[in-house]
Amino acid sequence: MACSTNYLWRGEATWFCCGAAWGPCGSAGGGACGNCRSASNHGAWPNASAACWDITRPDLCGEGGIPRRGCGSVMRVVQECSKSAVCITITDCGPRTKSFCGEAACCNGVCRTNRILDLTPAAYSQIASLSSGKTGVWIYE
Amino acid sequence: MIALLVGGVLGWSGSTKLFGRNTPVQASGTVLERKLGGLPRATAALRAVGAAELLVALALVALPVPLATGALAALAGTGFAAYLGYARATAPDSSCGCTARDKAPIGVRAFARAGFVLAGGAVVLADGLAGAGLPAPAGGPWWEALRDGPAAALGLLAAGAVLAWLLFGDPDRAVRLPLRRLRLRLFGHPLHGGPGTAGDPEAVPVEGSVELLERSLAWQTVTHVVRSGLREHWDDEGWRFLRYTGLYDPGRQGADGAEGAGRPVSVVFAMDAKAGLDSPRPPVIRVGVVDEETGERVDVTAGRERPGALLGEGV
Amino acid sequence: MNRTTDSTLDRRRFLSASALGGATVVGATALGAVDPDAAFAAPTPPLDPAVAETSFAEGLITGIDGGTLLHVKGSYGEQHRIQLTNATSIWKLHPTTAEDVETGDGLYARGLEMPDGTIAADAVWVNIVNLDVTVRGIGKDRLALGYHGGELIGRIVPGRSTASYAGAALTDDLSGVRMGQHALVLGAWRPKDGAVDIARITVGH
Repeated sequence: MACSTNYLWRGEATWFCCGAAWGPCGSAGGGACGNCRSASNHGAWPNASAACWDITRPDLCGEGGIPRRGCGSVMRVVQECSKSAVCITITDCGPRTKSFCGEAACCNGVCRTNRILDLTPAAYSQIASLSSGKTGVWIYE
Repeated sequence: MIALLVGGVLGWSGSTKLFGRNTPVQASGTVLERKLGGLPRATAALRAVGAAELLVALALVALPVPLATGALAALAGTGFAAYLGYARATAPDSSCGCTARDKAPIGVRAFARAGFVLAGGAVVLADGLAGAGLPAPAGGPWWEALRDGPAAALGLLAAGAVLAWLLFGDPDRAVRLPLRRLRLRLFGHPLHGGPGTAGDPEAVPVEGSVELLERSLAWQTVTHVVRSGLREHWDDEGWRFLRYTGLYDPGRQGADGAEGAGRPVSVVFAMDAKAGLDSPRPPVIRVGVVDEETGERVDVTAGRERPGALLGEGV
Repeated sequence: MNRTTDSTLDRRRFLSASALGGATVVGATALGAVDPDAAFAAPTPPLDPAVAETSFAEGLITGIDGGTLLHVKGSYGEQHRIQLTNATSIWKLHPTTAEDVETGDGLYARGLEMPDGTIAADAVWVNIVNLDVTVRGIGKDRLALGYHGGELIGRIVPGRSTASYAGAALTDDLSGVRMGQHALVLGAWRPKDGAVDIARITVGH
C-alpha cells in the first residue's frame, strides 16, 4: 500500500479538522489513530477498523466492498475534474457515509456518489478549494 | 446513603473508562493526549484512572470505614478538579475525557462533577469524624441508614440520583430537545419564509455558481492555470462573472518547476447567473484568461493534451 | 466586494468583455483534447512537474504588518509568516479582501514558501470550519448544532447562508433543515463568541 498506481476506490471526499486546532476544531483530538493533524496530508477512511465500520456503515449506501485500510495506509487521491493529486496517510475513521447516501459530486456530467474519504485541510486544499466543502475523487494506492 | 451514591457514580464512571470500547474516543481531544504524546498512552492513562475510580467506589460501597473511604473519595474529587484546572490552563480547547459522548471543551459542568465527588467524599469523611464527637451528616454506613429509616434514605438517594443524572447524564437530550421539537410542531418551521427565502426564487447563490463551475468542463480545461480560490464575483446583464488568479508560462510549463514561474493572470468565467446544478441543460460557460500586467488575452490551452495537475503533490 | 469604485467597475467591464469574448465551453471538448475517461485510463494520472511543491500553514493570527503580512502561531506552537499578495484569494464566509482579516482569526493558507521562509499565499481561508454536526434546534436566525457532545450556535446570515439537500443544488432556502438530522456545516467561526456563521449546510436523506 503506497502512493502508487493501483486503483482502490472512487467517490466523494470532504474535509475535516483534527489534532490541536483553533476554534471548534480544538476538541477534535488526534483521531482514531491518535496522530491526525490538520496541517499534515492525512485522511480518514470509512473502513479503518471494525469499530470504525460500525460508525460509518458505507454498506448502507451500497459501498459495502470498501476494503479495510488501517492506520498508516498511504493513498493517492486524485480530484475528478482537475486531476490534481495528493498523497495521504490514513490517521482517522470517517466520513459518516451512512448519513449522506446517494450524495454526488460531478465533473462534466460524470458523478461520484457517496462520501468515502475525509481529508485534512492540508490535503484537501491541494486538490480543491476548502470553501467547496466536498469534491469527487479517485483513490489509488 | 451518600457513600452509596458517590460509590455508584464512581463505579459507573470507572468501569466505563476501564472496560469500555469507547475509551480511546473518550481520551481523544483531552489534555492527556496532547501531553502524553498520543492516543494509546492517553487511553492507558484513562483506563488506569478508571481502575482507581472503581477501587474507590468499591471501598465506599463495601467498607464500613468512612474516615478512610471518605478521604479517598475527597482525594479523588480534588484530583479531578486539579486535572481539570491544569487542562483548562494549558489547553483551554481540550475536552475533559469525562464521558465518550461529551467532547465539548472543559466547562462549569465538568468542574461541578468533580465538586460532586469532592463534596460527597467530604460528607462521608465527616461521618467518619463523628467518632471524634462531631455530628454524623451521612448517618453511618448506608445499609444501617436504610434499615433505620428506609423512606428518608431512599428519598435522599433519589434526590442524589437526580443530581448525578443532571451532572453526569445527558439531560439536554432528554429534556431540552423534546421541548424544542414540541415548539416546532406548535409554531411551525421558523425558516419558512425566513431570511434565506426572501429573494428571487430563481436566483442562484454565488456558491451555487461556483459549484457548477468547479464541476464543469470549462474548469477542467483551465484549472492548470488557476492557483487561487474565488477572488471576486459580479453580475451584469444576466451573466455572472467569477474571477480567479493564477500563473501561466507556456515556455516554462513542464520545464524546471521554479518557484513562482509564470505570468500572473486573471481567469474570468462567465455563465448564466441563473444556471445551477439542477439546470436541465449543460451550462454554457465562457472563459477568458488575461495577463495581469499587459492586459493581453492569453490562450492557455495551446499544446495541452490533458487537464493538468497544477497543484502538484506532497506527502 | 461591495465597495465598487469606478476603477473597479472599469476593470470588471474589461474582464467581463474578456470572458465573454473568450472560448465557450458547453459540455464538450471545445478547448483542446479533454477526455476524463482517457485520463483515468492510465493507472494514475501523471502529475505536472512544472509546479513547485505547495506549502500549507494553519494557526491563529497573532499580528498583521502593513495589512498584508500575517504572523501566525500554529496549533503546535510553530510560527508562520503568511504574505498576502494581489493574487491571493481570501475567504472569510465569502470571498473578501485583506481588510477583513483580523488578529485573533484562525486560518488555513496554501502557497509557495519563499527563501526567507515566508509563505506567499495563493489562497487563504479565514476561520473556515467544516463540521459534522447534528441539528438540535432551529430558530429564525440560528441553528443549534450538536458537535462533539457540546452545542454550537450556527448563525444564519441572510444572503450568505445556503443549504444543499441530499446532494441537490445549493439554495438559500433553509426551511428543509429538520431536527435530529446529521449535517455538514461549512462556515466561518466567530472568535468573539464561538458561534459559526453558516455558509452552507449540507444534509443527507
